[in-house]
Amino acid sequence: MGILSLLIFLPLVATVLILALPMTLRQSYKYIALAITLIQLILSGWLYANFDNTAAGINAIEGFQYVEQIPWIRLNLGSLGQLEIDYFLGVDGISLPLLVLSAFVMLMAIGASWNTEKSPKGYFSLIMLLNMAVMGIFCALDFFLFYIFYEVMLLPLYFLIGIWGGANREYAAIKFFIYTLFGSVFMLLVIVGLYFSVINPISGAHTFNMLYMMDPNNYVDGSFFAWFNNYNEILHIPARDIGFIVLFIAFAIKVPIVPFHTWLPDAHVEAPTPISIILAGILLKIGGYGIVRVCVSIFPDVVAHSNWWLGLIGVISILYGAFNALAQRDLKRMIAYSSVSHMGFVLLGIASLTVEGISGAMFQMISHGFLSAALFFLVGVLYDRVHDRNIYNFRGLATLMPKYTGFIAIAFFASLGLPGFSAFIGEAFVIIGTFNSESIGTGLPRWMAIAGSIGILLSAAYFLWTLQRMFFGQTRLKGGEQWAIALEGDVNCRERIILFPTLAIALILGVMPSLFFDKLNSSVLNLVSMVSQYL
Amino acid sequence: MGALFNISPILASALVVVLPFIAFLYQALRGKKSTSGNISLIAIILSAVISASFVFAEIWGHTPQSATYNWFTIGTKTFTFGILLNNLTVLMQLIVCVIAVPVHIYSRSYMKGDNGIHRYWMYLSLFCFAMLGLTISKNLLMMYIFWELVGFASYLLIGFWFTKEAAVQANKKAFIVNRIGDLGFLIGIAAVFSTFGSLDLVEILGKDGLFYQGIDNNTGLMTIAGLGFFLGAMAKSAQFPLHIWLPDAMEGPTSVSSLIHAATMVAAGVFLLSSLFPLFNDNVLVFIAIIGTITALSSAYFALGQYDIKKILAFSTVSQLGYMMVAVGIGAWDAAMFHLTTHAFFKCLLFLCAGAVIHEMAHAKAHSTTDYDPQDLRNMGGLRRQMPKTFILMTVASLALAGFPLTSGFLSKDAIVISSFEWAIDKGGLFITIPIILVLVSIATAFYIGRLIFKAFFGEFRLDKSLLPHLHEAPKTMLYPMVFLGICSLFFVFSWNPISYHGAAILDGFSVAYIFKEIHSLHIIVPITLTITALCSWWVGYRWYVLDKYPLNPNSKWITAAQHQLGMNDFVNNKIVKGTLTFSNWAYLFDKYIVDGLVNSIGHIVKILSQVASWFDKYIVDGLVNTIAGTAYYLGHLLRWVQNGRLQNYLGFALTVVLIGIIYLIIR
Amino acid sequence: MITLTHFLVVSACIFCIGLYAVLAKRNAILILVGIELMINAAILNFVAFGRYDKINYGGQVFALFAIVLAAAAVAVGLAIILSVYRHYKTINPDNITDLRD
Repeated sequence: MGILSLLIFLPLVATVLILALPMTLRQSYKYIALAITLIQLILSGWLYANFDNTAAGINAIEGFQYVEQIPWIRLNLGSLGQLEIDYFLGVDGISLPLLVLSAFVMLMAIGASWNTEKSPKGYFSLIMLLNMAVMGIFCALDFFLFYIFYEVMLLPLYFLIGIWGGANREYAAIKFFIYTLFGSVFMLLVIVGLYFSVINPISGAHTFNMLYMMDPNNYVDGSFFAWFNNYNEILHIPARDIGFIVLFIAFAIKVPIVPFHTWLPDAHVEAPTPISIILAGILLKIGGYGIVRVCVSIFPDVVAHSNWWLGLIGVISILYGAFNALAQRDLKRMIAYSSVSHMGFVLLGIASLTVEGISGAMFQMISHGFLSAALFFLVGVLYDRVHDRNIYNFRGLATLMPKYTGFIAIAFFASLGLPGFSAFIGEAFVIIGTFNSESIGTGLPRWMAIAGSIGILLSAAYFLWTLQRMFFGQTRLKGGEQWAIALEGDVNCRERIILFPTLAIALILGVMPSLFFDKLNSSVLNLVSMVSQYL
Repeated sequence: MGALFNISPILASALVVVLPFIAFLYQALRGKKSTSGNISLIAIILSAVISASFVFAEIWGHTPQSATYNWFTIGTKTFTFGILLNNLTVLMQLIVCVIAVPVHIYSRSYMKGDNGIHRYWMYLSLFCFAMLGLTISKNLLMMYIFWELVGFASYLLIGFWFTKEAAVQANKKAFIVNRIGDLGFLIGIAAVFSTFGSLDLVEILGKDGLFYQGIDNNTGLMTIAGLGFFLGAMAKSAQFPLHIWLPDAMEGPTSVSSLIHAATMVAAGVFLLSSLFPLFNDNVLVFIAIIGTITALSSAYFALGQYDIKKILAFSTVSQLGYMMVAVGIGAWDAAMFHLTTHAFFKCLLFLCAGAVIHEMAHAKAHSTTDYDPQDLRNMGGLRRQMPKTFILMTVASLALAGFPLTSGFLSKDAIVISSFEWAIDKGGLFITIPIILVLVSIATAFYIGRLIFKAFFGEFRLDKSLLPHLHEAPKTMLYPMVFLGICSLFFVFSWNPISYHGAAILDGFSVAYIFKEIHSLHIIVPITLTITALCSWWVGYRWYVLDKYPLNPNSKWITAAQHQLGMNDFVNNKIVKGTLTFSNWAYLFDKYIVDGLVNSIGHIVKILSQVASWFDKYIVDGLVNTIAGTAYYLGHLLRWVQNGRLQNYLGFALTVVLIGIIYLIIR
Repeated sequence: MITLTHFLVVSACIFCIGLYAVLAKRNAILILVGIELMINAAILNFVAFGRYDKINYGGQVFALFAIVLAAAAVAVGLAIILSVYRHYKTINPDNITDLRD
């Protein structure tokens, strides 16, 4: 059993253990979850430390590390040939940082669920199941396996939001579930289409192996998604374009990209704090990761001529999310919309097809993972105490809770791109990459960079407005004396233990981005060279 | 001295930057336990000493030095950070240190007893770190980082009294307006990166830099870069129309205003433009000059109508920054740096003096029964008797600002005005209005600063006379820094020749080659004109404000317009800010009702469709099945009647059937 | 001259009367009588057609045979009726509908 399998299936052990233990030992569940996620973090950290920076990943199995490839399903289908599904895992510079991020955010989420009272057995076992699925998604290199993990992830989330959520939880859970399912069902069609278009050059059978799908030579002539001389059309759109669009929409819903974003604010507002943390910290990244790993890598020819549209959608997401965030009165909803805006940078960066842009986008994903998790955690701190999140119901919290204000100010400034924190590097390089795109000839106009930068301005506006409105001025609370007493204690020790490392990582990444870029560089260079042949 | 300690200028300059940072960390970690500010003070004094003796002395007039370290690599491009020491950067670093030291000392008594003083020292050290780092950055990206960090420190310091509503509004405004500039800077960086593929200043603008290898700086991309950098400078250096944050920023402590919003940070824009000067093409330069002129004129006009002592000084700062911008725009960036240096000293002094006055007024307010604004000129008057030393120092600084001979301001202002005349004559046409406006602004400057002096220090005290005993001279820890700055506002610090700027060491240090011809006659006419007009305006001011022969209607349109800054703030608040908010509300409504509405209505439609399907299933599909079953049941029911157990009926049926059979056989 | 037709007509009449009795009567005895009538109608036909078999006299023989059978049948029938009566306390066939089940 390889280390990646260990990483993926450790949480499953926790699930089984939690389910097996009787309810009298309910206090032990969270310790089991904590221990397992801690081990995962250490494992992923070990992977990160032992990663070979020169391996290029993306489309060659030699570029992947910690590879595990075991034949899984072999079925003779008669005239349709041999069904070939592998248990195929591996990481490269794109997925490894996300793996570490996931392990970290999971740990945060467990920390944030420390006081969960409502049926802890189901809660922790579902979270661990989710943990397994997420790890699987980032490791899987077989499209079928990827899809399985992708779908498995939905199930625990549905219950976690639907059972442990807020007042309107059922609506939010169903909306989230159906929205994501809507995307992934069509994805399945494309997966099957790709399966019948690609053959394994060694065995000659059709395959779900993603790496084979990235090589034009493995495509069967005349098949639906054939790379060359492909005249298949649906509604006058070439087949490969269709495949790309469908996959893109599936992941765009996850990112989420305007106009597929409306599940996000609802899900965030209704979800309990730990689930918000996981949603923002990990699940949104799956969308971005999918776009890079699947859409761009399997359809580089389509990306090369459609990136203008991707960039446009990215810019719209940035501005639209930012304007919406400015209009919010619910703190959590505001942060949810800011996530939409910040994830727009990811798309813009990827669309630029420049090394700087894609690296910036990847960095932005990691940075947003830490920062949005911290932000949602901070909202949870406030909500736990007074059960209110309306920005207008608070004023002058800085006098009452100086430490909390300090934390939230750092998180806000880090999110709005203050240099020294990670978001700055991500956003700045997305802008630089986009601006550079016209010079390099990848086709994004310069105004997109300028429009994107206006998003940075707006993010300053809504964060500072919130800071000023909620935290500064004379203390005045809607709940009066009662709230003041509830808020008296400031952040407690557990919350500090969770917040401090998160913000510290954002700071460390901002000061030493090489920690991340070194792992990423060769993969991104490989990706860009793959795409640039089609420009 | 460098040989004595054997410390390289590079290391020394790094030390200069790091020391305040250590002080910042110390303050941040100690929190409330450390209120004295000793560490910050020691750090900045050490920085100043090191900067003067190991950096400035080693580099000024000698060959520039630089050091580069790899920071991170993206793809194949390596981004570096590094230290660049040349005449420009070491001068700027020295100015920042030298201004920061008196301000630190001054703050010790000015901020004494404040609840949040530990935060004050922390923020101040952070600012010093960022500002000093900005000065010696070799890489544009690094410069941008420090550029934003000074903005952040300024945000923290403006909002230092965070329970004051006006203060937190002001710091929000300052940060957001600065953000606009930062975006310009970022776009500039992107443009430079896409032109040169590097952000290293030496690689680009050094002697054998990329810039001199046949890059045409008249391309659209270079214009974008130039305008982007200028936008950055406009926001940081408060140029029209982005100056609106600076007057509001006066909500911060006065010591902060003097350091950040008068002497150092706001001058960073000028410094940036000077460092990147070769990048700007003619169009951008002319644009810079025009914006500088507009700024100088408009804010001098606004300053005329203000009553708040700090606001007058703020507008005056904006106006002087406009001068510097004009100097950059005409290509005389050495003159801009010269004015920046002299201005830093006398404007800092002006603020510190104003701070001393405000301190005393606020002190007296504690004994007063009535509530009044300690910063309002209309409440002062005759203070020269209570605060003679402050009065003298403030007068010196005012004279320097107004450009009287023997002061430093005289030299630097002349340098700008004369150069601009030469430039305008060289260019010809309408450009001549620029120097003429500068002369007008100079007159206005002399007038408003005269007005401030006369209103505050002359005449009679305008409030309750019983408060007078509570007004004292500023304490010594405040006074000594002011004296030091007062000395630095005099001519001999910069040039031994009090009437001509040609001997000024700073100008010699840069030796910029002007593109326009020198016109000797101007070097005599302009200083004389400026001095005479300044004298006249002081005389008018004296007549109006001290002798009470005020001829104007204080409610006239011109004065109220100046007071309200031509309604610019209202315009920004009502149109731009409200407009953005309204737009965002619309966006949210759009999101809620159109986008999400679409999703929900799709859900709804699916629900209706499923209801229709359910109806169809229930009544049509299932109905068919039921009908068939029902028919069978009915038929069975019918036949069941036959099977009634009566033998006779059975027989009858049998007979009937036989009969039917027979009939059938017959008629077949 | 009495022709075959007359016999047949009479026989048909008797048959019909018997049939009617079988179908319509509410008394099992009378039904039995009706059955006898129908048998007799058949016997009459046998005898009438016996004219065409002058060698074996098959008609007459079958008639005799049938009479004997009819007598036996009546005996059995009456016995059934008696036991029905004992069981149901009625001999009205309308009231005996156990065959329905």
